[in-house]
Amino acid sequence: MEFNTPLFLGFFAAAAVINYALPRMLRPYFLLIASYAFYLYDPDNAALVWILLTTTAISWAAGLALEKIQRRAVRVAIVTASFLSCGGFLFYFKYLGFFDEIFASFLSLFGGKANVLQLDLVAPLGLSYFIFASLGYVVDQYRRKYPAEKNPLLYGLFVSFFPCIFTGPIERYDRMSRQFKHPRPFSYNRCAGGAFRMLWGYFKKMVLADNLAVFVSSIFSKPENSTGPQLLLAILIFSMQLYMDFSGCCDIAIGGARILGFDLLENFNAPFMATSFSDFWRRWHMSLTGWFRDYLYIPLGGSRHGRVRHYINLVIVFLVSGLWHGAAWGYVLWGLVSGVLSAAEVIWQKSFAKNSHAKPPLAVVWLQRVGTYVLFSLSLTFFMSALYGVDWSYLTTNITLGWNTFFADPNAFCAGLSAFGLGGRKLMVLIFGTAAVLAAESRGSIAAWIRRQNWSIRWTLYYALGLGILFYGAFGQSVFIYQQY
Amino acid sequence: MNHMAKTLLRRLYYGTKILCKFALISPILLFMVYFSYKVDRSGLFQGALGPRTVVDLMLSGHDVTNFEQMDERSVVSLYAQDVPEDEHPSVIGIGSSRVLQFNREVIGTDSYFSMGVTGADVRDNMTSYYVMVRAGKAPDVLVWSVDPWVLYGSEKAFDSRADSELYNEFLTKVLGVETDYEEPDKVELWKALADPAYFQGNMDYYMAIRSGAAVTDDEGNEIPFKAVTGDVYDNDASIKRSDGSVLYSKEFREQNQDQILFNAMSACNTFNSVHMEGFTELSAKQEQAFDAFIRYAQSNGTTVILVLCPWHPYLYDFLLWQEDDHQGFLQVENWIRQYAHDNQVPLYGSYDPLQLGMEEMDFFDGLHCKDIGLKKFFPGVPAVLQQIESGSVPDALEITPRTTAAERCPW
Repeated sequence: MEFNTPLFLGFFAAAAVINYALPRMLRPYFLLIASYAFYLYDPDNAALVWILLTTTAISWAAGLALEKIQRRAVRVAIVTASFLSCGGFLFYFKYLGFFDEIFASFLSLFGGKANVLQLDLVAPLGLSYFIFASLGYVVDQYRRKYPAEKNPLLYGLFVSFFPCIFTGPIERYDRMSRQFKHPRPFSYNRCAGGAFRMLWGYFKKMVLADNLAVFVSSIFSKPENSTGPQLLLAILIFSMQLYMDFSGCCDIAIGGARILGFDLLENFNAPFMATSFSDFWRRWHMSLTGWFRDYLYIPLGGSRHGRVRHYINLVIVFLVSGLWHGAAWGYVLWGLVSGVLSAAEVIWQKSFAKNSHAKPPLAVVWLQRVGTYVLFSLSLTFFMSALYGVDWSYLTTNITLGWNTFFADPNAFCAGLSAFGLGGRKLMVLIFGTAAVLAAESRGSIAAWIRRQNWSIRWTLYYALGLGILFYGAFGQSVFIYQQY
Repeated sequence: MNHMAKTLLRRLYYGTKILCKFALISPILLFMVYFSYKVDRSGLFQGALGPRTVVDLMLSGHDVTNFEQMDERSVVSLYAQDVPEDEHPSVIGIGSSRVLQFNREVIGTDSYFSMGVTGADVRDNMTSYYVMVRAGKAPDVLVWSVDPWVLYGSEKAFDSRADSELYNEFLTKVLGVETDYEEPDKVELWKALADPAYFQGNMDYYMAIRSGAAVTDDEGNEIPFKAVTGDVYDNDASIKRSDGSVLYSKEFREQNQDQILFNAMSACNTFNSVHMEGFTELSAKQEQAFDAFIRYAQSNGTTVILVLCPWHPYLYDFLLWQEDDHQGFLQVENWIRQYAHDNQVPLYGSYDPLQLGMEEMDFFDGLHCKDIGLKKFFPGVPAVLQQIESGSVPDALEITPRTTAAERCPW
């Protein structure tokens, strides 16, 4: 059940109405049923629901055990067992084939032979998200961060909560537990704010991301037919498409949860306003970077064990982050490049920018923002190659072609874009829509802002978004990119 | 006020408030539905683009080019749907291409539309009238140009272009005859109106029309129908007139006697292939259907006028000469005459041109009469109605057509 379908909207509306019709103490249990109904609707997921149930049971039991047991060795063993079992699902469905290929290649270097497993596994949707949420809970229990949850149903709701099971944000149990145990009373303003957030998300996904995707996918599905300027433009646009797609989905999830009475973690904070690569990563996919910070970077030692270890830790975290996205060399390389760039930035800051506390001029700030955006977009080339299965030989060859023609007649290049769906009114909508979204989000929460406006401004914006979706939204064409991770 | 009542009131208040806010969004949805319904690029509600273009042009009083490329049956159905209720024709003509020469002048009234279609079989005849009744626009007068295959019971009398679904609907709903007709799933159809993707397709189509771009259907084919400009009689190809009749090309209309005779001779060997292969006797079932249809029309307050359009003298003589090969055909007229006599249904014309004093130049070819020929035996609807009122309708049995080779005479 995709978020961008009428079926989901109907399901969600029914769930919201029933939720508020029930006594508050029963609401979490109803939402647990609704979450499983949502999950089971897709037959592929239904067949693999046992993975969700098992992960929930293992991590819940581990939490209880970790709370009671004092011996460190046993506690470590419990955490290890949880990681091996829950992480094992992740490894089996996402990485087994990939690592088997690596192993076979490694053996062949020494003249050995290994049969590569021909796995064609369909991973249950949201696998990476609910496994990470569960493992985060286990580690929190190991650290005795908060009391373990005694009620398996409430914990089950945390793992399977339908607004965020497919694409996150990756939640923390201490935040959600308070909300589950003390459901908020109905608040009209909360619901209105949530509904607007969802509308905002739909606009970003259906109008901006999906229309940008038409151009990007037509270029990268046949890079052999594309020129250098086209490839470069597609690379720069892809990062924007990815942002609109993923953040739009998170807006829908966060808005939906808000209507139901829950606050989810924010996943983005105007990332394209970042003035450095590390600043960018503090603003992009915040729930995942926060997870890696708390459960990987800090356990590895963070920046506390000398410079070299700090740089290595950074690279490791980004490498694992790349691998989290998928079992493909493109993701691994993307993680590696991002890690190296982050480490390089730290080196540069420590070496050359020690005393620069003065606020830079606005022009410099914008230069930094543009530079960060370009750097991130270029690093995403690896990500994109994995996503679209791009043949690198075409990419590296064709990126150098067509520049003379482009500089000789840039107008012809612009006119040619209409063949890729970037022409006429739609191009205008995409340019102004993207600019408006980025500008609005750079000023903080758009949902909070809209609630402060008077009636006429609010409804003008509602109508603009609604009509924008109606006229330019791509209906029934695509799933969310991050749904597959 | 106790807590329960307060809670209930609070819920009612917010429930109403939320519904009101949804009502404020509803104009967007209503606009989408209305726009999709009116533009309807795929023809789900307004009919396919081609026939719709033809009907729109005819309803705005234009004659339309490219008759040969028209889906005539769809045009007829759409006309019945789209003609305004207060402007619907009081007289309609049904039948095959032979009724398409009945125009307003021949009929004698401006409130006329020819719903005939090329190659019409009995199903086309009946459904052409039925769609008018179904739309609540039953005509006052029905001119039925009866073709001989109407009384042939074989499937060979059927035309592949006829709308068998519509005919089954007519049989089941109107005549109460059991068929495999099933009520169409309207839900799927109406879903399209709630589909934003369909709205967007309609918007693109609408903008294309407004910008003057060529109108195309879903497959990208250009719609070839345009309003006739200039002298309508100076036409290179057949034209669908705004009254539904057909004006053949100038070249075809102005053929000399030899050319017409040649056409008639060519029709001799293909005569049976037009829905009459193996036609040796009348079908009792078709006779009943014929009677049921006339009674159905009469029950809707429609006066039925039967017309038998003559064949070219050469062709009719050939049919007599090859009497054994045309046994079914040669029985039709007498049966219809007897029926008209018994049921007091006005009947004009005859398949036998000799009985009407027709000449070779009254024809375009072996099958189709010119308007000058039609006027020789059909006095026009107002005159017929007057005859009915005054009780002076000619007795159908006054004319006895020739039906045997022995009756052949030099022509």
